Amino acid sequence: MARIDVKSEITGTVWKVTAKPGDKVESGDTLLVIESMKMEIPVITEDGGTVKEILVKEKDPVAEGQVVAVLEE
Amino acid sequence: MSWQPEIEEIHRRRKLAEACGGADAVAKHHASGKLTVRERIAAILDPGSFREVGKLAGRASYDPAGRLTAFEPAPYVMGLGKIDGRPVAIGGEDYTIRAGTGFGSDRRKGGQGGFVEDLAHEYRIPLVNLIDGTGGSVANARRKGYTVVPGYGQDGFERSVDLMGIVPVVSAVMGTTAGGPSARAILAHWSVMVRGQAQIFAAGPPVVERAFGTKLTKEALGGEKVAVDAAGTIDNVAEDEADCLRQVKRFLSYLPSNVWELAPRAQRGDPVDRCEDGLASIVPRAGREAYNMKKLVEMVVDEGSMFEIQPTFGRAVVTALVRMDGYVVGIVANNPMFGGIVDVKAARKQGHFVELCDMFNIPIIFFADVPGLMVGVQSEAEAIVREGVRARYIGLQVSVPVFTVIVRKCYGVAGGSVIDRRGLNFKIAWPSAEWGSLPVEGGVKAAYRREIEGAPDPHAREREIEDELKQLASPLRTAEAFAIEDMIDPRETRPYLCQFIEALQPRLKSQLGPKLKAGVRP
Repeated sequence: MARIDVKSEITGTVWKVTAKPGDKVESGDTLLVIESMKMEIPVITEDGGTVKEILVKEKDPVAEGQVVAVLEE
Repeated sequence: MSWQPEIEEIHRRRKLAEACGGADAVAKHHASGKLTVRERIAAILDPGSFREVGKLAGRASYDPAGRLTAFEPAPYVMGLGKIDGRPVAIGGEDYTIRAGTGFGSDRRKGGQGGFVEDLAHEYRIPLVNLIDGTGGSVANARRKGYTVVPGYGQDGFERSVDLMGIVPVVSAVMGTTAGGPSARAILAHWSVMVRGQAQIFAAGPPVVERAFGTKLTKEALGGEKVAVDAAGTIDNVAEDEADCLRQVKRFLSYLPSNVWELAPRAQRGDPVDRCEDGLASIVPRAGREAYNMKKLVEMVVDEGSMFEIQPTFGRAVVTALVRMDGYVVGIVANNPMFGGIVDVKAARKQGHFVELCDMFNIPIIFFADVPGLMVGVQSEAEAIVREGVRARYIGLQVSVPVFTVIVRKCYGVAGGSVIDRRGLNFKIAWPSAEWGSLPVEGGVKAAYRREIEGAPDPHAREREIEDELKQLASPLRTAEAFAIEDMIDPRETRPYLCQFIEALQPRLKSQLGPKLKAGVRP
């Protein structure tokens, strides 16, 4: 099974985690929401698959390009 | 006595040129999923419109009697053709002949300067570069007997640079490209590369391995994930060669043939008075929430007319060529899916696109929803203030009419970069609009610190001040003072703008020609 890393495209803090391990997701689904400069920025997967791991929790700081979730195809 | 034998020789040699690098080389090229440069040219041009120039150029061998024994065509094919009925200069390397490297001709055919670029320059017609070459090689020294200074001979990048100010230049990167050809690809108003098939870099994996000891595939070094998505070196990605050529045609359809003409108006079809109800509710009432700005723009512009430039780079801002009642317009829209926060990539993308529109007399509409420039150490280390101000500087040098639709947020230095203070300074606001030096929430503590800290309940006092300022922030109050030119029902955005876009056409006609800009960009 191919492992897919989902990255945050922006620096901020984790506002909400909306997906959990085991969830089936499709391209365009939101996995979590980052807060940056008081804006809510969804982290969206470009690929479909099953959520294997969410690597961050609410209030965690994240950097641009950081892997925040792992999917399995 | 006719010239029949000589005429036949011309036709024979043309046939030889059409064989490219020979059947084996062509078969190998096809096997890797690529078209030959001749097939590419035939695919993109209007049928039967290609008039090849320099087809007889190449390396010939003769027997002692002066008869031709072998002929290797020049590894560059070029000439004049038409795209959608409009003349273009077009050329590309023939990868089947020594990977498209130079052949030591008296005059270059193209690739870096050369006849095809002179043709575009002298006739004021667009230039299409089909790039599939790997550039110079140390083997040149053995052939020449001496080494050369970069940009040697009569054709460096001088002509390529001249072209950037007068005619549209497009680069389609269709194979692995390094050195000179990769530099040539960048000297364009728009560029595209084929996913998985094209790579672009300053130097390829062997050079990188020698320098740093790291082994990389060419895809990892210069595939579209690096060159387009991360770096913005190339603007767009194509799924395959056919898509690549289609995108080149599409880009050119939005541009005039040169800076002395206006972009052609398309057939009108979409009614100007189409007012989409979706516009009244697309912006969430919660100011923090994201929404689909691309969908918003699509509801306003002519149906199916949106062509995004750099869709995967600097995604906090959307840049697109569109049509409004058939007229070409450039759109710059902050993207709430990325908070609309302008980072260095978004700033660079915005500046480049605004400059492109200005050069070709394409009016600009900003859809503003920008909380500001990206803050933080990383952003500062990337020179966000400089990049943000550069975007603003470029915006303040444009000569085309600019409109600003304030959809939601318009704050700070980044907010100032979407407003045309130099021209008509025409801003229309939606009911969801808000603006200022910085958002109330972030600014109250800083501006009223002493008052807040001195209060019996500082937290409550901060809230009170916030509420008071938010009341004042109603866009209606600003409209009363005519500090915003208009507030509109979002559904009216299309008819409102279309009427002004039509009205400004005489203005555009009055300012045709090259644009020389003074000053040093920050």
